[in-house]
Amino acid sequence: MGKTTHFGYQQVDVDKKQGLVKGVFDSVADNYDLMNDVMSLGTHRLWKNYTIASSNVAEGDKVLDIAGGTGDLAIKYREKVGPSGQVILSDINGSMLEEGRKNLLDHGIIDVEFVQANAESLPFEDNTFDCVSIAFGLRNLTHKNIALEQMHRILKKGGCLMVLEFSKVENEMLEKLYDLYSFNLIPKLGGLFADDEQSYQYLAESIRKHPDQETLKTMVLDAGFGLCEYHNLSAGIVAVHKAIKT
Amino acid sequence: MFRLTLEKTLNHLINTNNIDTEGLNNKIIGLSVDEFNLRLLFMFANSRVFVMRMHDQGNFDVDIKLNKTAFLYLFKGASFEELIESDEIDINGSVKTAQQLADLIALASIDVEELVSHYTGDIIAHQLGKSVKLVKGKANKDKVNIVEALKNDLTTLLVAPSRSRFFNNNTH
Repeated sequence: MGKTTHFGYQQVDVDKKQGLVKGVFDSVADNYDLMNDVMSLGTHRLWKNYTIASSNVAEGDKVLDIAGGTGDLAIKYREKVGPSGQVILSDINGSMLEEGRKNLLDHGIIDVEFVQANAESLPFEDNTFDCVSIAFGLRNLTHKNIALEQMHRILKKGGCLMVLEFSKVENEMLEKLYDLYSFNLIPKLGGLFADDEQSYQYLAESIRKHPDQETLKTMVLDAGFGLCEYHNLSAGIVAVHKAIKT
Repeated sequence: MFRLTLEKTLNHLINTNNIDTEGLNNKIIGLSVDEFNLRLLFMFANSRVFVMRMHDQGNFDVDIKLNKTAFLYLFKGASFEELIESDEIDINGSVKTAQQLADLIALASIDVEELVSHYTGDIIAHQLGKSVKLVKGKANKDKVNIVEALKNDLTTLLVAPSRSRFFNNNTH
């Protein structure tokens, strides 16, 4: 085995991680929104609403939603940018994009563009977007630093990056309860509602392997962003990192 | 949440009143009031402002340090030159740029009591707020618009979208 990286708690060959993550999301795509509601008791909607409210996106803006999956953020960004703006939903996973396309059509939305792309080599020109957003996607990437550099590259000067991701719980007591919930209940809920315990075991493990708030902030600044701050939600279960290309 | 509120208020003001922020474009302005442990950073870009927590790294184009009296005067729309003369303020960088930010903040009719309460506790904040309200009787019309816009945004943020849509459909 050559260079390795983590896939949940397993160490795997760097070249294999992308395929393994693809397998997880192929498997969960059908029930993704339902499982998000079940696992977070609907709270993921508030986290996403907060992310969009703090993105400073305005009418006429061009927004890229990376790892946009089933399109719930893209729908809200589209409301913000209006008819004079543009929203592009990208995801590396075809099954998730397919769910996103269906979901947007169900909402009567036909003017969001879909791009199947790897976040580590984004097929967009430099200085293109006013806002780049990634929600619950960064932790699944093999080379997060490269992806952050790509996001920096395609943002306009003064453009804003929003990263919504699971993070480090602030309170020790709550952390223990959260661990208990994540490792015992979440995989079982995955088995019950999506007939897939293993993928949800990976999701719980991948959260623990993701960099904490301060580490991610340093990574964002190292990628070239001039300003970065984060805001913990639900006691740090998730954090929103907001960065500006200066 | 208060920085988000401040950011939304200022951006609403810039958009609805077509305020020209060209002179502030790509400028980073730090504003701190040590007595309140208040440290904010304003970044202007693409006709909007980002309000963030002041960070340690990086250089600001303008760094404004105020005492609490000067902070109060800022919300009254005071001139920075007068404040500098009376030693109430310390500015590193362009005074003109600092004044442009101050003018924008003064226009926003921000509830200073609410803003400062996060840093000082309610009693001091209330006293400060009372003083500001005495001198701030202008721009009532704009204030209503800002409050309405914020109310809508925060409703969308805090209420499930489907409920929010239902509420809006039944009230308009």
